Amino acid sequence: MERITAVPHSRQPLRSSAEAAASLATLRRGNQLFETERRLNAVLNNASVSIFLMDDRQHCIYMNRAAEQLTGFTLTEVLERDCPLHDIVHHTYPDGRPFPLSECAIDRAFPQNNHERGEEVFVHADGHFYPVGFTASPIRDDEANIIGTIIEVRDISEEKAAAERQRLLLNELNHRVKNTLATVQSIAAQTFRGQTDAAARSVFDARMVALSTAHNVLVADNWESASLRSVTERVLAPHLLAEIDPHRFRIAGPDARLHPKVAVTLSMALHELMTNAAKYGALSVPEGHVSITWTLAPLDDGRQRLDLTWEENGGPEVTPPSRKGFGSRLIERQLPMEFDGTAEIDYRRAGLVCRLEIPLIALGWMGQELIAGQASL
Amino acid sequence: MTMLNGRRVLLVEDESLVAMLAEDMLTDLGCEVVIAMRLDKALDLARTGTFDAAVLDVNLGDARSYPVADVLFERALPFLFATGYGVQGLEPVYQDVPVLQKPYQQRPMQHLLCRLLACETPPRKRTDPLRSLGCACVAQTSPSAPTFRADTPI
Repeated sequence: MERITAVPHSRQPLRSSAEAAASLATLRRGNQLFETERRLNAVLNNASVSIFLMDDRQHCIYMNRAAEQLTGFTLTEVLERDCPLHDIVHHTYPDGRPFPLSECAIDRAFPQNNHERGEEVFVHADGHFYPVGFTASPIRDDEANIIGTIIEVRDISEEKAAAERQRLLLNELNHRVKNTLATVQSIAAQTFRGQTDAAARSVFDARMVALSTAHNVLVADNWESASLRSVTERVLAPHLLAEIDPHRFRIAGPDARLHPKVAVTLSMALHELMTNAAKYGALSVPEGHVSITWTLAPLDDGRQRLDLTWEENGGPEVTPPSRKGFGSRLIERQLPMEFDGTAEIDYRRAGLVCRLEIPLIALGWMGQELIAGQASL
Repeated sequence: MTMLNGRRVLLVEDESLVAMLAEDMLTDLGCEVVIAMRLDKALDLARTGTFDAAVLDVNLGDARSYPVADVLFERALPFLFATGYGVQGLEPVYQDVPVLQKPYQQRPMQHLLCRLLACETPPRKRTDPLRSLGCACVAQTSPSAPTFRADTPI
């Protein structure tokens, strides 16, 4: 307890009798103590984080100015109540039920280790609830017995509100994107009704669905990335469903996180290959099969390069197309330009082979590594 | 046949599918199109290529196309920005550059490019972000500037 009271709330003047009897050295020590105390108070009362000093009964015996502002109670009021701090600032659940000390995570987490963290909702002196993040560390005596706790507390209302706002925006984004694609599809259907042949319409619809599916994969990871494996599987899904024999497909390669741009363009490219295979290639006959395999090669700049091979076998004899369509233009021309990679389609007689080399774009947003690094400290 | 026939146009657009659409529109207008989809490539082409005009998508995913615009200012090559956000989406010093509203449409693209090529003073970068340098063809005050109406084909 000595240590705890070594950081007193108010300055205690040195007793004059002691002063009179003191040697010069003691006097100097007294002055040093006084000076130290003044500095500590300056630090504590100017800190923006709330600091509570608890004894072994969970009574608060010191709180700094930030803590007084946060809770709406003065230290004097808290000391006068002479009860666990929990009963003053944490006595009720946000839903109105009483919150007994025995259920309190902060109390139960009476820390064995430094910097135990958590989040709770406190009750202000005026009755309103506010979310806080706390960090608790034990105070030990000379024999290493725990004699109290230091609790740092921050009001995290703004962070909570920002996270909630982001969640709403993401939901809205998911909804908007899907809705916009569906709207485009509807506009196209209405506009071209009876004016284009049904085949062209179904090609268009399939492309819209491929685009929409690519976005589904992005939604799954908050638009930050998409899994290479699920991108591949989802492109094949319509055909896998229709196929009786799943052995007609071979998909092999390590999973990777793809930047949204790569995910969308790759989805569209695979969709075009898939459509072509179903119409003219290996999937147009029952005995044909397709293998999609890939590897990840490290690049000098720390990124990875995706080397993906689409290979068809067992289909009808391949003849190179007389005209380059949307698919080959997207794959052979746009895709390498967009990602600074390479792409080639080989119209092998035994079956089409497409090889893609795509340097993968680094994921994340500016400063993300920094934030992630801080969080793991 | 329009005045765009045979013009070399640099198209900077980072989305494959969108680039294909814009390229087709320009090609249909008789332009010879050179595409750049990445900032480094676009900068190379802007510095060393020969063009009559350029169309720059503002947002290139992880970068903005402003450095390309700076090179084009320096070379006094006429260009326009393509963006879904309108003029207000541009940084103020670039707001004297004509803006083509995305999604791309052929008629406005044709109209803006023709006006750009007919104009005697190519767009300039503002030195004072708040003061427009104007342009003869936008203000339509110069007697030499041709006048266009958006609703009549050129």
